Amino acid sequence: MTTATTKVWDTLLRDAKERLADAQPYVKEGKVVAAEDAVKLLEAVIRPGDKVNIEGDNQKQADFLAECLCKVDPAKVHDLHMVQSVLSLSSHMDIFEKGIAKKVDFSFSGPQGGRLAEFVNEGKIELGSIHTYLELYGRYYMDLTPRVALCVGYQADKNGNLYTGFNTEDTPVIAEATKFRQGIVIAQVNEIVDELPRIDIPGDWVDFVIQSPKPFYCEPLFTRDPALITDSQILRAMMVIKGIYAEYGIQRLNHGVGFDTAAIELLLPTYGEELGLKGKICNRFILNPHPCLIPAIESGWVESIHSFGGEIGMDKYVKARPDVFFIGPDGDMRSNRCYSQMAGHYAIDCFIGGTLQIDKYGNSSTATATRIAGFGGAPNMGCDAKGRRHATGAWTKCGEEYAMGPELYGDMPRGKRLVVQLQETFREKLAPGFVDQLDAVKLQKTANLDIPPVMIYSDDLTHIVTEEGIAYLHKCGSMAEKMAAIRAVAGFTKVGLEEDPAETEKLREKGIFKTAEDLGVDVSKANRNLLAAKTVHDLVDWSGGLYNPPAKFRNW
Amino acid sequence: MADWKELEAKSFYEATARERAIGMVDEGTWTELAGPKDRLTSPHLPVLGEAVEFDDGVVTGVGLVGKHPVFVASQEGKFIGGAVGEVHGAKIVGAFLLANQVYDKIMAECPDEIEERRPAVVISFETGGVRLHESNAGLLAHAEFMDQIQGSKGKFPVFAVIGSKVGAFGGMGFVAAATDVIIMNTYGRLGLTGPEVIEQEMGKAEFDSADKALVYRTTGARHKYIMRDANYLVEDTIGAFHDCIGEVMDLGYAAIEKMRRIGNEELVDEQLALAELSVELHPKDSRDVWAYYGNENPEQLTEITTAEFLATAKRRP
Repeated sequence: MTTATTKVWDTLLRDAKERLADAQPYVKEGKVVAAEDAVKLLEAVIRPGDKVNIEGDNQKQADFLAECLCKVDPAKVHDLHMVQSVLSLSSHMDIFEKGIAKKVDFSFSGPQGGRLAEFVNEGKIELGSIHTYLELYGRYYMDLTPRVALCVGYQADKNGNLYTGFNTEDTPVIAEATKFRQGIVIAQVNEIVDELPRIDIPGDWVDFVIQSPKPFYCEPLFTRDPALITDSQILRAMMVIKGIYAEYGIQRLNHGVGFDTAAIELLLPTYGEELGLKGKICNRFILNPHPCLIPAIESGWVESIHSFGGEIGMDKYVKARPDVFFIGPDGDMRSNRCYSQMAGHYAIDCFIGGTLQIDKYGNSSTATATRIAGFGGAPNMGCDAKGRRHATGAWTKCGEEYAMGPELYGDMPRGKRLVVQLQETFREKLAPGFVDQLDAVKLQKTANLDIPPVMIYSDDLTHIVTEEGIAYLHKCGSMAEKMAAIRAVAGFTKVGLEEDPAETEKLREKGIFKTAEDLGVDVSKANRNLLAAKTVHDLVDWSGGLYNPPAKFRNW
Repeated sequence: MADWKELEAKSFYEATARERAIGMVDEGTWTELAGPKDRLTSPHLPVLGEAVEFDDGVVTGVGLVGKHPVFVASQEGKFIGGAVGEVHGAKIVGAFLLANQVYDKIMAECPDEIEERRPAVVISFETGGVRLHESNAGLLAHAEFMDQIQGSKGKFPVFAVIGSKVGAFGGMGFVAAATDVIIMNTYGRLGLTGPEVIEQEMGKAEFDSADKALVYRTTGARHKYIMRDANYLVEDTIGAFHDCIGEVMDLGYAAIEKMRRIGNEELVDEQLALAELSVELHPKDSRDVWAYYGNENPEQLTEITTAEFLATAKRRP
C-alpha cells in the first residue's frame, strides 16, 4: 500500500469540463447556442442541487433564460438553490412551483412578494436570507457562489464577449464570481454580432451565448411622471431642500425611487435656484439616470452621476452628457450596480427615500404582513457606514450634532451619514405612515423569518420629513426624546395623537423638531407651479429631444 | 388683474374643476351655484362608508362670455374619478334648466337680441361615467343629460370641453358626443370603454392599456381632431378654451348647429360610411387612418407641438 494519497485539487474544474462536454452537441459556432436548444443546454449543464443565478434586478432581466429554466425536466434538474438579486418575474416563482428549485437567497422580490409569502407558507420554498444587493454580492464570493449563472446583455460575438452597455448592472459581479470558481456562465443577448461596440465581459468568462427571440425585459422603475406629483410632495421637497440640503450643505447623495424625491429633483432649478443653492448642494449623485433630474442637469447643478443601472429611454441623453455620467470609450454609459452600491455605502453624505411604515422608535420598513418584498440596495445607503474614514462638511456637521455620540465613543470627533425618510402621515387608502409596531414583525412570524425585515434601523435614521415638519432624530439624547420627536411629525396617526404639545414645544426650542414655518418655507408656494417640469413631455423638451420615454409614459 | 391673467394662462390639464369653471367665463362674471357652502352631498356614499365632498365632485355656476350667459358644469377627477352620482348629476341638469329659463326670458323680453345674448351650457368633462356606488341614480342622470341636450336643440348650444387627466369615458363619452361643439387640448381623451376595460375584455394583444402612447393616439385629441370627432383643438391653457367658446358663440347659432356629429340622417349616413371604411381599411393603428387621410408622416403627428400639428395635420374631409 502506498503511503502518499494523491489529493485532488481541481474537482471544480473537472466537473465544469464534464458539464461543458455534455453541452457540446448544442454548440453551433464558437460559443453560440440556438434559442431552441436553450432548454436542452440548461439540462446538460445544470446538476441537481446546484446554486444557480438568474441575472435580473429591478431593471434588466434574463427573462428568456428564466423561462427556459422553467421548461427543464424536473426529473433531470431539481432541488436548485437560487442565489440571485431579485424574484420579480413570474418565471422566477414558477421554477419553485414546478419543483425545479427549492431554496432561495435573494434581495428583492417586488411584484412577486405576495406569491413568495404564499410559497413560503405552503412549504414550496425554503427561504435562505433576505439581503441587500451588496451583501448578496459579498456572499457570491463567500458561501453562495453560483455554479451556473444565466446572464443577460445587449450583444455578444461568437467568442462569447459580451456588450452589456448602458444596462451592465449586475453582470460583472455575477460573471466573475461564477467563472473564477470554475462555474458555467450562459448569456442571453438581443443579437449576436461580428464586432461589439466595446467588451464589457471578456469572452473567456462566458461559456455560451444565445440570441433570445425577444429583446430582454427592462423595467423603467425609476421614471416618475411629473404630472402625478402632489402639492404635499412639493411641500416636503421644499422642506428637504431648505431644512436639510441647505442646512448641511449636502453635496454627495442618493435619491431613493419615488415621487417625493422626483419632486426634490424638479425643485432644484426653481426653488433651489431661488435660495441661491446652485453649486452648494446636489453636485454629485449615485443614481440611476432619473428623467426627473434632467432639468437640474441642464441647469448646471450636477457635476457627476454614477448609475446602478440604465433607465429606458435615457441612453441617448446620457450619451450626450459625458461630463456628467460614466461613459465608456465607445461613447455609451456603463452602469454597475456593485460599484454604485459601494459608492452609495461609503461615499455619499446623505441617503433620502420613502418608506411604507415607520414605528414609534424610528425603525422603518416597506414589508407588509402578506408580502416578502426585500429592500434591494436601500439599506446599504440608508445606514451609517461604520468603516468610513474620510470627512466632508455635511458628514462632520451631522456627527457634531449627534447627541448619542459621546455615550458611544466619548469626545472623539466623528461624522455621521444623513439618512432621511420622507413620509406622508397617511398614505394611500388612509394607511397610517406611523405605527406602533411594523408589519414586518407580523411577517417574521407568518413567513418564519429569522428576524423582522427592517429597511432602516432607528439608530441609522437621522431625519424624518412629513407635512408636519422635520424631526432631527440624531439630535435626540435618548430614545424617549427620539420617540417624542417622531410623535411630533406623525400628524393624526395613532402614534401622532400621543403627542404632548408641551414636549413638542421643547423639541422646537432645541431645534429637534422644525415646522415649515420654523424653516421659513412658504406653504402657500407649495404647488405644482414650482415644478421645473410638469409633464413627461416637458422632460423631453428639457432634454432637447434626447430623452425618449417608453410608451407607458407617453401621454401624446 | 394679475390673478386672472395667471388663471387664463394656467394649464387646463393641470387645473382643478373650479379653476376650469371660473376660467370658462369672462373675468369677474362668475357665480358658483349649489357650491360647497350649500353642502349638497351624496346620500349614498356614507352608507358605504365612503367620504363625501361638499360639491359632490362637480362645480356648477354661471358667468358671461361677451353678452352670453354661460352655464358651466365642471367635473373634478380627483373625487371618485369624476364619476356621476345622484347629486352630481342633478347639479348638471340644474345648469340646463337654468339655461332654458334664461333662454325663455330673453325670447320673451328681447327676442331681437337672441343672437348676441343666446345662452350656452359648457360641460368640462373629467369622468369615467357612472359612479358605481350609486349606479342607478348615475345612469338616470346620464339619461337626463341626453334628454336635456335634445331639449336644447334649436335654443342654445352645448359645449363639451375636454382636456383633463381622467378624460371623458363611459356613459359620459356618449354625452360628450351628443353635444354641439367639442373642444379639446392635446391631452384630452374621449371614448366609451376605457382602455383598461378593453384590455380586460379583449386581451393585451388587442389593446395594451399600459402603452400610453397607443392609448393617446387612439382616444386622444389629435386623433379625434383628425377624425372630426372633435371640432377644435386648442393650446393647453384655460384661456385658450375660454377664447374658443367666445369665438364659436360669435359665429352664430346656425353655424354652430352644423358642428354636430350626430342628430340627422345625413350625419348618420356619414357615420355609417365611416364604419364601412374601417372594415375595408382594417387599420391596425390610428396612424394607418391618418395616413389614409393624406398625412405623409403619421408617426410625426404626435411628436410636434399643437401649433405645428394644427398647421400640418390633414383631417377627414
